Amino acid sequence: MVIIFPVEKTAPRPLPKTLIITVLLVVLVLVASSMIPLSVFSGLWDRVNIFATVFLGIFVEAIPYLLLGTFASGLVEVFVDQDQMSKLLSNRPVAAAVGGAFMGMIFPVCECGVVPLTRRLFHKGLPLPAGISFLLAAPVLNPIVILSTAAAFGWKEMLFWRLGLTFVVAVSVGLVFSVEKDMGNVLRPVLTLSHEHERDHAGDSIGEKIRGALIITADEFFEMGRYLIAGAVLAAALQTFIPQSALLAIGTGPVLSVLVMLGLAVLLSICSTVDAFVALGFIGTFSFGSVLSFLVFGPMVDIKSIIMYSQVFQRRSVAYIVLIPFMMSLVAGIIFNYVSP
Amino acid sequence: MPQRLYRSFQALLLLALCIYLAVKAASGQLTFYINLRFVPFTIAGTIFLAILAQTLFTEIRRARQLALEYDDHDEHDHKPDSANLWFMLIPLAIGILIPTRALDSSAFATKGFNTTGPLVSSNSTAQLLGTESLDRNVLDWIKIFNYEKDITPYLGQQASVIGFVYRDDQISENQFYVSRFVIACCAADGFAIAMVVDSPQAQTFEKDSWVLVKGMISSMTLNDHPVPVIQAASIQSVPVPEQPYLFP
Repeated sequence: MVIIFPVEKTAPRPLPKTLIITVLLVVLVLVASSMIPLSVFSGLWDRVNIFATVFLGIFVEAIPYLLLGTFASGLVEVFVDQDQMSKLLSNRPVAAAVGGAFMGMIFPVCECGVVPLTRRLFHKGLPLPAGISFLLAAPVLNPIVILSTAAAFGWKEMLFWRLGLTFVVAVSVGLVFSVEKDMGNVLRPVLTLSHEHERDHAGDSIGEKIRGALIITADEFFEMGRYLIAGAVLAAALQTFIPQSALLAIGTGPVLSVLVMLGLAVLLSICSTVDAFVALGFIGTFSFGSVLSFLVFGPMVDIKSIIMYSQVFQRRSVAYIVLIPFMMSLVAGIIFNYVSP
Repeated sequence: MPQRLYRSFQALLLLALCIYLAVKAASGQLTFYINLRFVPFTIAGTIFLAILAQTLFTEIRRARQLALEYDDHDEHDHKPDSANLWFMLIPLAIGILIPTRALDSSAFATKGFNTTGPLVSSNSTAQLLGTESLDRNVLDWIKIFNYEKDITPYLGQQASVIGFVYRDDQISENQFYVSRFVIACCAADGFAIAMVVDSPQAQTFEKDSWVLVKGMISSMTLNDHPVPVIQAASIQSVPVPEQPYLFP
């Protein structure tokens, strides 16, 4: 077992047994309920069906993007060496945070793929502010999402405000993290799996490098997929039991409507590459500012990304990464609602 | 779990996931879960999963040979977390054990149900004006009634729509809703829309059964909004369409 980030000597992390047991119980209940005559539990069986459809919807949708992110991480591991990385990006906080925010233009990943890639880039020596602002900005500031937002809203205000606000929020959080000099306080130690991760790839042939990248992709697909699955289970369960209409009925005032849209962004847990089409559906019911806050906050924080963050970052860092964007999106949405209701 | 065993399970799970997705893609059932627009990405992902599984199988074979040649025993210091594998069983278990079923009226309670649909941008209605009235689906009619200031030109047009049957106490006994789920991204963001069907034989159709309704468009007021009503000339039972959802 190799510990990459220097930490005090710790015992191997125990398996999150409660998580496994919960999930196994869910599966058990599902299996058991499938054996009972349908008429008896038709209401329950309906719930199970909705749960399954919603869960598989999120999971199937996310698979290609998670693969893209983990493959990018694998490629970075074998093709980029640490000296190049440290030359590439400045150590001055502002420059690093701004640079990090634009790195999504080179690595077009969404919020599932960005987590393993960010961790890999940290490992390769990316400065903390750059990595954090990359983590938050890349799911929006990348060519794919810009095009899908433009397809939904046109090359108009909504797109420009979404990009601008995402940039501001990501750089701000990046700068907050520039205060911390010790990566070990921010990141959890990484437990690597195979020899691939610690080998020097410099002398390998292209074929060997690709092979190494694919093995890392597979390893990270399982490691991150686990948190994606846990997040999707949670999101689907919440959606099966909490009526969306209850959330939408809470209010349409200038403050409440923003809170509702932020809550919905977390609850729905949809991929940033497509959330613009979902947001489009709320135009008309919700104000410009509320929908904008959904589009800025959703890609940064939702149920599955919180669970994935908590795998990579220490608990306090996760709190910063979740709460600062929440406050900033909330304030931005409220300001918009008052300026242009 | 020793690394070699972990690798074997990893490769098998990747293969299983790949086969599961390939079967869903081949049967056209991916659209029960995601928008048609994203199906190509999932298919690309499925192919990539096959490549990953193949790479791992090769790697396992290679590691075995190396172990034979060099009598290599240094594997035991790696203890990968086997929980990673357990988690990957969850989607497979859910996908295989629970029969595929598109969202239907049982999801209305949590996912919402609409006859006016605050759902789609108005800029797409412009194209609808030119369409043949018989080609419009439930979503198109809802859009027209939402975004056109004057709906009188549409009244009396002939409509032909497919959807599933639903009833509530807002409509009379000789009416039912013909409804569809609209999916922007995946089933997680789905919500239902519906238009009213007026027919003397309304009671004969079961809830959640799929019907093809033909008839003349008229209007009624529901929740203070004008909504489209089909004065049914014919109602036919039809099988569940290949794509149960509509995409905005």
